[in-house]
Amino acid sequence: MVMMMAPGGTLEMAQAVLDEGADAVYVGVVGWSRRGAQDELDDDEIHRTIDYAAARGKEVRIVVNTLPSSTELPMFVERVERYAGWGAQGFMISDIGAMRLVKERLPHVNIHSSVGCGITNYEDVRFLREVGATYVVLPYRMSVDEIREIKEAGDVGIEVFLFKTPSGGKICPGKCNMSSYFSFRRWLDAQGKDHFFGSASRGGDCLRVCQTDWNFNVDDVDFRAPMTIKTNPALWLEELPDYLAAGVDCLKVPGRDRSTALVRDIVRVYRRAVDAILGADRPDLGVFASELETLRGRWMSERGKRDNRLLRQAIDESRRTVATTL
Amino acid sequence: MFELSTDVGNLKELREGDFSAYDALYLGDFSCPDYPNNFSSHAELLEPGLELVKSRGQKAYLRLYAVPGNADLGWVEDLIDTALELPFDALEVHNLGLLRMLRDKGCRLPIHLGVFGNLYTHETAKVLKEYGVTRVYPNPELSLDEVRYIADNAAVEVLVPVHGKIPLVISETCFILEHSEEGGECGDGSCSYQCTQEHWLKRGRSDGSRADWSLKDTGRMTLSGKDLCMVEHAATLAGMGLKHFYVHNKGEARGYASQVGRIYRDALKRAFAGEAAGDAAEPLATLAGLAREGLCNGYYFEGAGQRYFGRT
Repeated sequence: MVMMMAPGGTLEMAQAVLDEGADAVYVGVVGWSRRGAQDELDDDEIHRTIDYAAARGKEVRIVVNTLPSSTELPMFVERVERYAGWGAQGFMISDIGAMRLVKERLPHVNIHSSVGCGITNYEDVRFLREVGATYVVLPYRMSVDEIREIKEAGDVGIEVFLFKTPSGGKICPGKCNMSSYFSFRRWLDAQGKDHFFGSASRGGDCLRVCQTDWNFNVDDVDFRAPMTIKTNPALWLEELPDYLAAGVDCLKVPGRDRSTALVRDIVRVYRRAVDAILGADRPDLGVFASELETLRGRWMSERGKRDNRLLRQAIDESRRTVATTL
Repeated sequence: MFELSTDVGNLKELREGDFSAYDALYLGDFSCPDYPNNFSSHAELLEPGLELVKSRGQKAYLRLYAVPGNADLGWVEDLIDTALELPFDALEVHNLGLLRMLRDKGCRLPIHLGVFGNLYTHETAKVLKEYGVTRVYPNPELSLDEVRYIADNAAVEVLVPVHGKIPLVISETCFILEHSEEGGECGDGSCSYQCTQEHWLKRGRSDGSRADWSLKDTGRMTLSGKDLCMVEHAATLAGMGLKHFYVHNKGEARGYASQVGRIYRDALKRAFAGEAAGDAAEPLATLAGLAREGLCNGYYFEGAGQRYFGRT
C-alpha cells in the first residue's frame, strides 16, 4: 500500500494533515532541515506531533537532512536517538556518513535518503541502499520510465514528490550552492549548533537567487530578456496511476513553507485521488482537474511571496557584506 | 612536498597548452559529455592523452561524467573499462553510483571524489574510503577549518582548490543551448558548441552600472563570477598541513592555467620552504587581470563565497 506523507511546517499543519488523511507527517528540526526556523519544529512540538500521530495509528518522519559540519555529528546522533526514543519511525538524511551512523545505532528505523542526495541513476540508488537507506527520495524531474528502472534495480522504497519540474536543467536541490555564494553567514547558537544563513544544504533557507531577473549575455551582449535561471516545480496528478504502477511506495506532499490552509486542501484532494486510483482499474482523474488548477494557482501565489521575501534577504545580506574588491 | 594540479578537457587543449607548472592533470570535462573530444566521453582518446601527460613527467587523473542518468551508464561503463586497462594515476568520480560500479569492477586505481560528490563530513569520507576513495574534494561551502578537520579525522587526502572559478551548480542539460536564439534540445545532436564563447549571467543594477551579482555559465555548469584566489594565504595552507592544491581551469581562455600555475607554484614553494612570502602586489595584479569579475576567497573564511579577505 502506498504511503501518503504530508508536511508539518508547524504543529498546527502537522495535526491538520493527519486529520485530512495523510498516512504520515514529516517535520523538520530547527536548524537541521533545509528550511528557516519558521518552518521547523522545536523538540516540544516534535514530541507532541509524535504523540498526536501515534494516537491515530499514524507515523512521523523527522527531517534532519542538512549537510552538517563534522563536529556537529555527535549532536546529530544524540537528537536522532532522542526522537526515535519518542517514537519517530524514520529520518530523512542527506549526509552519507550521518546515514551510516544512524543505521549502526538504530537499525530498526527507516532512513529516507533525502532529495538532497541528488540521485541521477539506479546505481546511485543501489549505493544508498548499501549505506543504509530504506527509502530513496527521487528528484522532481524523473520520468515514469526512469522510476521503473530504479525500482527494478534495487530492493528499496521509492518516494516521490507530488510536484515536479520538466526533465533536465540545473540539479536542485542536491547540486547547487548559488544562494550561499552571494549571501552566507555562519554562527553558533547557545547549544553549539552551527547555523548557516543562506545555505539550504546546511540548514538555512535557500534564498532563491535563481528566481531574480538575470541578464544572459555572450561577449557582453545581452541576447535575451531578463529571465530566471531555474523552473519552479508544479503540482501534478495526471501521471499518478503510472507512478504507482511503476512501484512508487511513498507519495510526498510538498509545502512545509506554505500556509496550513493550502497544505490541508492539497492533502484533501490527493487523499481522494489516491483512494480513487487504488480503488478502480481506470479511475477518472478528470473530476479533480478544477480543484487541482485552483491549488496550483494558490501554490504559485504563496511561492511568489516567499521567493520575494527570501530574495530581499539575499540582496540585503549581500550588500551588507559587500566584497572588498581589488 | 605538495602537489599542484589543474584540468584539461581534451587532447587539443593538452597539446597546445602550457601546463608545466603542474604536477598532475585532471583529464576531461566532467560536466558535459558533448564537449568536443572530451576525455570523459571519448575512450579512444584516453591512451594518447595519457601518453602525452606521462611524457611530460606528470600524473594523469581521469574525470568521469558527474551526473549520469540511467541511459548514460552504459557508455560510461565502457569508458571505465578502457580506463582500467591504462596506467592512470587515479579516476575521479562525482557520482556515487559510479563509485559503486568501480568497486564492483575491482578497481585497483586510487579514486578521487569530485566536487559534486557533496562531501561535508569526515564520516562520509570514511564511508567512501571503503569504496576505494583516497582523495576528496570537499564541497566548496566548507571553511578551511572544516576541510582540515576532514583531512585529520578521516585520514584521507584532501584536494584544496586555490584558484579559479567555483563550481556552483551542475545541469543535466545545456543551459546555453536551451536559451539560445536558435533553440534546441540538449542531447539531440544539435549542439553547436556555443560554449566556446563566454556566457555570463548578471543581475544588473537599474542604473546600468556594474552588475552586483554575476555568474559564469559553461552550459552544463554554472560557476562563480569571481575567481577564488588564495595566493595571499599560501603560508596558511602550508601551515595547516594541506598538500594537494588545485587550479580550476574549465571555461577559461588559453593561457590562464599557465599564468596562474606559475604564480601558485612560486607562492607554494616559498610557503613550504618556510620562506617569507614575496610581495603579493604583482601576482595579485596579474591574477586580478585574469579575473573579469574580481577575486574572492570562496567560503574558506566562513563568509559568502564571493567575498575577498586580504591578508592585511
